[in-house]
Amino acid sequence: MEFRRVQAGIILGSLVALVVAGCATGQKSTMEPADFVAERQRLMKNVGANWADIQNKVKAGNTDAVAVNAEALSLHAQRIPGLFPEGALTDKSKAKPDIWQKWPEFQAAAKNLENRAGTLRDQAVAKDAAAVTTTVATFGRDACGTCHTPFRVPPPQQPAAPRS
Amino acid sequence: MNRKHLKTAVVLGSLVTLALASAATGQSTTKIWTSDVVADRQRLMKLNGASWADAQAKLKAGNAEAVAVNAETMALIATQIVALFPDGSLTDKSKAKPEIWQKWAEFESAVKNYAMQADKLRDAARSKDLAATEAVAKEFGRQACGTCHTPFRVPPPQQQPRRRRSSRNPADDRRHPMNRARAPAWRPRRPSFALC
Repeated sequence: MEFRRVQAGIILGSLVALVVAGCATGQKSTMEPADFVAERQRLMKNVGANWADIQNKVKAGNTDAVAVNAEALSLHAQRIPGLFPEGALTDKSKAKPDIWQKWPEFQAAAKNLENRAGTLRDQAVAKDAAAVTTTVATFGRDACGTCHTPFRVPPPQQPAAPRS
Repeated sequence: MNRKHLKTAVVLGSLVTLALASAATGQSTTKIWTSDVVADRQRLMKLNGASWADAQAKLKAGNAEAVAVNAETMALIATQIVALFPDGSLTDKSKAKPEIWQKWAEFESAVKNYAMQADKLRDAARSKDLAATEAVAKEFGRQACGTCHTPFRVPPPQQQPRRRRSSRNPADDRRHPMNRARAPAWRPRRPSFALC
């Protein structure tokens, strides 16, 4: 008799907890793979646009002004792993399945972008034009490339060579 | 005795289920932020302010198209704001007003409005129409930043309402109704809006 009540209690507690957890994470669980693909493509488009802005500013000799873009890259980079849950792969995505086979490496590559963007930001804040120029010169390979080369299917029009 | 057991069972069941649930959703909610939520949202909002400042500088230089990246950055930032204001996350370092949690629905809709305004600015910039972009930008401080900062953020000390001017001439009083139309457009309140 007592055992039954305890059992009922556990079930009741579990249900309550599930509802609570469901409410807390509700927004996440309704996201379909296509939503993740769309959201990360939107994020990565803005990463690319901030990178293009950085290049334009450096070309114009306006190296101090890249701080804002570098900080955007650094913050966006932190969101990347969360937008690649397992199974979030559609035919619109250029992600390689290797992402989930080598998850720690993928995470490290995102962290690498965060760190390098942080370095670039700090150099721009310090108004160190020479350092900014040097970092930007290798950024395509050392930041974008470390993730795009192993983990993204290259678009047909620009095979192999990473943009820099 | 029975009651005690029942209580324990309820609590135990809840805990185990919560642990399982959080483990199951763990991957999709990869930890982004630090444990200091106030510092996190201040970092996010600094980037917001810096993106806005960059957009304004580009507009001044007549480069509407280049504003699109900043506006889209702001629109993306907007998707992160609400989650960075969990209940009770108010410290003495924060300039958030308690009204945020008292009027949560309004806070959420202010953030939503902000995202929409950023979208509007981005789309105007993408159309490469300088006049249209400037028109959105002119109202942006009031329509986008202001709708949330006015009700929900404590103004920095240097921006507290100014003391009355000594002059009696209404022409010198910025707040006088006759000067309303000429009042300067909303500007970022903190000079430190230039990031980092």
